[in-house]
Amino acid sequence: MTWLVEDRLKPYASRRAEPYLTDAIKTQVAEKYFPRYPRKQAALLPLFHRLRQEYGYIPEQAIDETADFLGIARAEVQDAVSFYEEFRLTPSGEYVISVCRSISCELCGSRAVLERIRHVFGVDPGETTADHKITVLEVECLGACEQAPCALVNEDLHGHLEPDNFVRKLQALPNRRSGVSPPAGSGSGEDAASTMNGKAH
Amino acid sequence: MALPAPILLKRIPADPAQRRLCRWADYTATGGYEGLQKACTMPPGEVIKLVVDAGLRGRGGAGFPCGTKWTFLPKDVHPRYLAVNFDESEPGTFKDRYLVEHDPHALLEGIAIAAYANRITTSYIYIRGEYHRQAGILEEAVAEAYAHGIFGRKYPGTDIVHNCYVHRGAGAYICGEETGLLESLEGKRGWPRNKPPFPAVAGAFAKPTIINNVETLACLPHIVLQGAAWFKSMGTPSSAGPKLFGLSGHVNQPGVYEEALGVKMSTLIEKYAGGVKGGKYKAAIPGGVSMGVLGTDQYHAELDFDIGKKYNVLGLGTAGVIVMNDQTDLVLVLRNIVRFFAHESCGQCTPCREGTAWMHKMLNRIVDGFGRPRDFDLLMEIALSMGAMPGTTICGLADGANWAVRTFLQKFPEEFKARLKCGQVRGVELTATA
Repeated sequence: MTWLVEDRLKPYASRRAEPYLTDAIKTQVAEKYFPRYPRKQAALLPLFHRLRQEYGYIPEQAIDETADFLGIARAEVQDAVSFYEEFRLTPSGEYVISVCRSISCELCGSRAVLERIRHVFGVDPGETTADHKITVLEVECLGACEQAPCALVNEDLHGHLEPDNFVRKLQALPNRRSGVSPPAGSGSGEDAASTMNGKAH
Repeated sequence: MALPAPILLKRIPADPAQRRLCRWADYTATGGYEGLQKACTMPPGEVIKLVVDAGLRGRGGAGFPCGTKWTFLPKDVHPRYLAVNFDESEPGTFKDRYLVEHDPHALLEGIAIAAYANRITTSYIYIRGEYHRQAGILEEAVAEAYAHGIFGRKYPGTDIVHNCYVHRGAGAYICGEETGLLESLEGKRGWPRNKPPFPAVAGAFAKPTIINNVETLACLPHIVLQGAAWFKSMGTPSSAGPKLFGLSGHVNQPGVYEEALGVKMSTLIEKYAGGVKGGKYKAAIPGGVSMGVLGTDQYHAELDFDIGKKYNVLGLGTAGVIVMNDQTDLVLVLRNIVRFFAHESCGQCTPCREGTAWMHKMLNRIVDGFGRPRDFDLLMEIALSMGAMPGTTICGLADGANWAVRTFLQKFPEEFKARLKCGQVRGVELTATA
């Protein structure tokens, strides 16, 4: 489950006049998902996946609109949506980097990967760079242990990560949302503090 | 003992360069859906009997006999559901992903057979949220199966139409627990339910529901085609059949390998995974982190569903073997595992929510050098008091943390005790004099 972490760099999200659940989304969900389940509430996860794709996060206003749409209480929607790690309630960067930290990945060096990302981009897990390009997350097992260490870049899995190469790949990602160029990261720096293999104590 | 030829992986070449997605045409050209065809010529009860006779045990972790589970469905109560557990989130486990991303129809044929045998109204494939690409592959395969009349058809002699849908989770380990999965399927937070009622009686949407793992279902076409005796000829008397083992951690060729149950772990590591990387074997987790750890002297452990009592672990679990070499710091390993459980605890039951967090704090303290000798017994006491087996929690998540901690402490006491001496604080002096 998700344990909510406050992002100190989060932008302020306000309400807006036009609904987040547009008629197009409503029709699409109603036609595709309502017939699949005996209760409308079961379409909640598919609907939020759709919203996540559309907006990159779940806007607070969409929770109210979902409650009306599915005919359930707002608290029930809030209860469900706050449980799942993938439904982020605040806007994230253009690229969400989910670095796996579970056991197989840590044995194979995930700490060094994360440390290099932190060092180069200057953000802790849960935070977004100032240019809104990259959000870094630390996540539990991604189910790709044979490719350890691994990470998701948005929805794409990258395996067998090597810290320097991976950071270079991230720096080369095009910044489509704004015209800001990626921050120049210093390539050097100290490595992970304590690793399982390194006997760093 | 060794399998003469791959069974579940028969359409996935061992050479990574030759692996590709097996679509409808490839699948049917290699004997695909023949199992379903044959099953449909048998009365449903016969199919169930066949699965019971084959001794097929659930591949999702618990090893519960699949056919027996089916017989718990109350007679003539409809609709009834099949929930396919593809929420593979146990660290070290990736076998179902590997199977489905190459051979999705193997799962769909299994679903169709299970649905036929049990007169299922709707099958929901609950796939974990992080499997984005695999969800797409599965959606396409389901569409192919619909186009060819595998789904969306009436069972002969009834008015029941069987439908099959992909339902995506959104990042929560606990949704792999069967009742947590059902809650999530209904659009709620994935909090496990108290049992009884069991899902077979009141599961999804309060209707009779079967929950089966991906690999369990993928075994069905082979059992139907080749019979119970053939299936039982592999493995051990109580753990029949082939099994997918996922090897990761300190091995030279991590990956998914198929062997008969009862195979020695040393065989898996040496024959398939290219041996231990970066040193000698020290410890291994037999099947996902909740199963506990195998010690240095248990390198040749024979992996079947009944390894629990034999080797002092919880069980075979998902058969995701995580190997650690002799350079590994097991205190850090245990901290990682306990952190996983603390993070993934759903928060419903106090012993689990608080207990996992306490143990994580303690292990952080020990890693920082502030361990005390009495922490050994304290860790053990907290661990042993949480879980469904001590009877303090609803589901088995805390049992996983319990067994991880207890087996690490029992099998590697010296390594932990060495870190629990007072006066080992390392780190930065405030008044550093250089």
